[in-house]
Amino acid sequence: MPFVKEGVIEILLLSVAAGLAGTWIVLRGLSFYSHGVGTASFPGLVLADGLGFSAAIGAFGMAAVFTALSALISRSRRTGADSVTALVLVTCLAAGVILASDVFGSGAGVDSLLFGSLLAIGPADQLLAAIAAVVALVSTRLFSAHWLARGFDQESAPSLRSGSTWFDLALLAVVAFTVTAALSAVGALLVVALIVVPAATVRLVTRRVQTMQTGAVALAAVEGILGLWLSVKTDAPPGATVAVVSGLVFALVLATRNLRRSRAAAFAITVLGLALAIAGCGDGRAGEGDGRITVVATTTQVADLVAEVGGDRVEVTGILRPNTDPHEYEPRPSDVEAVGDAAIIFRNGGDIDQWIETLVDESGSEAETVDLGAGLPVRISGGHVHRTGSGSDVPAGGTTAGGADEAGDTDPHWWHDPVNAGAAVATIRSSLSGIDPEGRSGYRADASAMSRRLNSLDASIARCFAAIPPNRRRIVTEHDNFGYFADRYGIRVVGTVIPALTTEAQPSAGDLAELERTIEDENVEAVFSETSAPDDLSHAVATDTGVTDGGPLYGDSLGDSGTAASSYIGMMRENSDRIMRGVSGEMRGCEVE
Amino acid sequence: MIDAIFEPLSYGITLRALAEITLIGIVSGAIGCWIVLYELSYSAESLAHGLFPGLVAAALIGAPLLLGGAVGILIAAILVVVAGRMAGESPDTAIAVVITSLFGAGVLMALSPDSPAGLQGLLFGDLLGTTVTDILVAAVIGSAVLVALWLLHERLLAVGFDPGSGPALGVPVGVLNLILLGLVATTILVAVQGLGNLLVAAILVGPAAAARLLTRRVWPMMLAAGAVAVTAGVAGIYASYYLKTAAGASVVIALVLCYLLAAAAAQLRDRTAAVRH
Amino acid sequence: MDAKLSDGERHRSASPGSGLRERPGRKLIEALDLAIGYDGRPVLSEVRFEAWYGSRIGLLGPNGGGKTTLFRALLGELKPLSGSLTVEGASATVPQSDRSRLDYPVTCLDVATMGALARLRWWQRPTRGDRAKAAEALGTVGMGDRADDSFGDLSGGQRQRVLIARALTAEADLLLLDEPYTGLDSKSAKRLDRLIEELAGDGRTVMIATHDVEQAQGWDRVLCLNRTQIAFGPPDDVLDRKVLEATYGGHIVEIPGEPGHGVLPPHHHDHEDPVHRDPAHGELP
Repeated sequence: MPFVKEGVIEILLLSVAAGLAGTWIVLRGLSFYSHGVGTASFPGLVLADGLGFSAAIGAFGMAAVFTALSALISRSRRTGADSVTALVLVTCLAAGVILASDVFGSGAGVDSLLFGSLLAIGPADQLLAAIAAVVALVSTRLFSAHWLARGFDQESAPSLRSGSTWFDLALLAVVAFTVTAALSAVGALLVVALIVVPAATVRLVTRRVQTMQTGAVALAAVEGILGLWLSVKTDAPPGATVAVVSGLVFALVLATRNLRRSRAAAFAITVLGLALAIAGCGDGRAGEGDGRITVVATTTQVADLVAEVGGDRVEVTGILRPNTDPHEYEPRPSDVEAVGDAAIIFRNGGDIDQWIETLVDESGSEAETVDLGAGLPVRISGGHVHRTGSGSDVPAGGTTAGGADEAGDTDPHWWHDPVNAGAAVATIRSSLSGIDPEGRSGYRADASAMSRRLNSLDASIARCFAAIPPNRRRIVTEHDNFGYFADRYGIRVVGTVIPALTTEAQPSAGDLAELERTIEDENVEAVFSETSAPDDLSHAVATDTGVTDGGPLYGDSLGDSGTAASSYIGMMRENSDRIMRGVSGEMRGCEVE
Repeated sequence: MIDAIFEPLSYGITLRALAEITLIGIVSGAIGCWIVLYELSYSAESLAHGLFPGLVAAALIGAPLLLGGAVGILIAAILVVVAGRMAGESPDTAIAVVITSLFGAGVLMALSPDSPAGLQGLLFGDLLGTTVTDILVAAVIGSAVLVALWLLHERLLAVGFDPGSGPALGVPVGVLNLILLGLVATTILVAVQGLGNLLVAAILVGPAAAARLLTRRVWPMMLAAGAVAVTAGVAGIYASYYLKTAAGASVVIALVLCYLLAAAAAQLRDRTAAVRH
Repeated sequence: MDAKLSDGERHRSASPGSGLRERPGRKLIEALDLAIGYDGRPVLSEVRFEAWYGSRIGLLGPNGGGKTTLFRALLGELKPLSGSLTVEGASATVPQSDRSRLDYPVTCLDVATMGALARLRWWQRPTRGDRAKAAEALGTVGMGDRADDSFGDLSGGQRQRVLIARALTAEADLLLLDEPYTGLDSKSAKRLDRLIEELAGDGRTVMIATHDVEQAQGWDRVLCLNRTQIAFGPPDDVLDRKVLEATYGGHIVEIPGEPGHGVLPPHHHDHEDPVHRDPAHGELP
């Protein structure tokens, strides 16, 4: 499997920098700093996404800013280093939230950058890891005596000729570089597992710096490869697996070392082991190919449409599952394998499933990727519709007013309009026929059946809403992702609660107040939340304005299997029904057949 | 002018946010001082991630999510103290090891088809989404934390001053650290629901760090920290109202500005003192 | 009052600090074939000595010789590995003042009041009476007028005395001073001398870890340790060249004109506790 090989090379390269930097992190108490550098990359990613430069540049730039700010503020005498790190970190994150929410209106693409993966490693990542290794090796060779001396005794350091804070700054820079280089492999939240935990484990058994460094490099490599291997075996995300493996090894070493107090260690191991065991139960993937055509679909709704058209001839692997948050998607080995085996790949398009490109590269797949959104009428997010015909051209409410025009990405949520779904079905049919000419007639039959169902779905939703006067079809949604639905059925989405699509976005008090005024002025009937996000804000807005709390809609994903919304048509029915109940004051729903 | 002050108050959203930030600000001011003096900022920032596996486990077995989160975060706090003591490591390293392992385990557990999406989001609230229940819970748990801090005050003071004297003074240092981290965890658990993770870390550390620059006794430090937290919280919400910036992030920026002001004031004070001598 | 001694046990009097003045001449510490250490490995062994109320005992030995370990045993933090150690009454430690946190937001009175915790149950908080007692203790050590000053603003000698006041508030019968003369000017050192004398005069036992052999000669007893007990007794009987060489392993720098006396070569911190020792230390490449 080629993707495993790339991952192993990345681990081997990273482990050099990780082991060396990790040793200093542990000896000099820089764990929090290294965690901070990783997490603080968020505003860099927002800027990179918003201004259109590479994510790596954004992350490295933020790491530099973080380091400089930490060094600057830590000169203040009465604030501990840990408090300084915390303050700088929250400042960076707050800046990122404001940038994402109020300046760029960032899309979901920003989130996926926060979650790196060993399964999606490109040559650029390996190059960075190699540079980090060289930087760590050279700087350790040059500065380790100074770093050790300063860690040993800050006060006597001047007499040892390492009094300059430049040495500390160099150390912080090396750590920052290592962490940032590792981000694309394990993600911001788990990067510490790869860098700090092996060094901390080795430190339990050795007291010599050189031994510690060699040991940490070796252990980081072993734990990384073991984690990757286990993740392929159990089909779990490698980053989390590496974290759990490292934690268990640490606990084991600690327990064997402290046999005297092994009861507490046994407790710790039991807790961690239990967690791993439960986690291990969490999966089990069925089905090998049985002569059917293997097809990969990125999102849940695309998978459903493909399955409808393909019928028994194709085996569809949907990469996003109903219970994975599309914003926090981290690929699993089976996903890469599925992409590698796929005869054709269907994607939604837009930043909803941008990650598929890396996955295709990584898997070495030669298959064609069909972008279902590509041929459809373009709608600009923020409310402006570049399309003739029905629908509103009102900017989506208070939250994006003013910022919407600059934000202007295309809105990728096309599937909320059944006509678009019909167009997608046609695209799917011709693509499938192209690679499997023998099944052509079957695809045609299934596709036209599906088209008929979509037409009747569309007609009955339209009929349903026609019973409500247009001036009452006014709603507020959680995110700006129901534009296509609204345009189709003459509904006005007067505003949205959250200004941007990234999970980090926050509304402002002023925008929400304005939204509440708009709700009252425009006689909005209902406020809706979303299934995959917390609903406290929309609840609050509904409560304060006294309009109907319409409950959650399916915005980005179908419902769990077993629910009424587990298929595309079911999802559309559910959404229509809930919106109808909302605008009719719970008087009536949509009976869509 | 008067209108400018009262206008935001006519909205339930801002009113509840102000109430929540005031309550949590007071509690954070008090416990934040111990976080700063005991150098627990890393815990204050990271422990919230420790509730993730508990949350997933609760979702899988059908227990109340809040209960799962509480168990998760308390286990994380205990493991941090136990691992730190056993390894003889700085608590820093122990947090790094424990939190990443637990978070990783949480991610793996969340793969189970039975676990709902966006779980962590369900427990991480937004300041403007504060409910009356949130405020009541914050009031009750916050009072409990304040009472516990008041009862432990002298012992926390003595051990923070000189950990080595703990045994001679009859204060079990390990247990005290565990209780303190437990209180921090409890505060975080309550506060993340109202404020979200980002703001919780800021309000636990920022005001106390600012107060430390300006005061030389613990009680005044706590009062100053509470005052800074509430002032910055209110200022942040008003800024979010008038400048239309993200609410939680605005409060964080206001908190950081307060800290920078305090640092400048302290610098000025030291300079004038140096000139006088 | 004297509890029966048993192996591996350490006894404390149930009524600490009561009636100090009535009890000079009574035994406060008794160590019998004592061995102490960490994780079952002895750091200090074959310790046998006894000490009486109201005496000043110098504790001599090289770094790593077992002084801190003995202190921790006397405080009850370490259990004897073998033999027995009995301390009748409460003990309190006075750490080196240059190790305390100077930026910690406390007053002298706050620090002195901390001692009261030693006498209180875990749910009790210091009362006004305890603060009065702390203020009195500050008076005893000559810091009565600095009660409301920040601890961090004091000189090293003054901090030392405040830490002694903390031990007095704890009503300790046994005060353990860890190298209290380090960093003091001669005036402060004289003052500390007088204070130690007064404390002993009040019936308290003061044990002073020091490197200064000359100073130890002024006290009632000296205990020389170097992994084992080298000698114990009145300084005039004990402190000869042979004992000092055994204590310091031959690393004595002679003071010209004073044969038999010596001071230790370069001062370094005494730290035997592996839990607190940084493993990376001492390995400068």
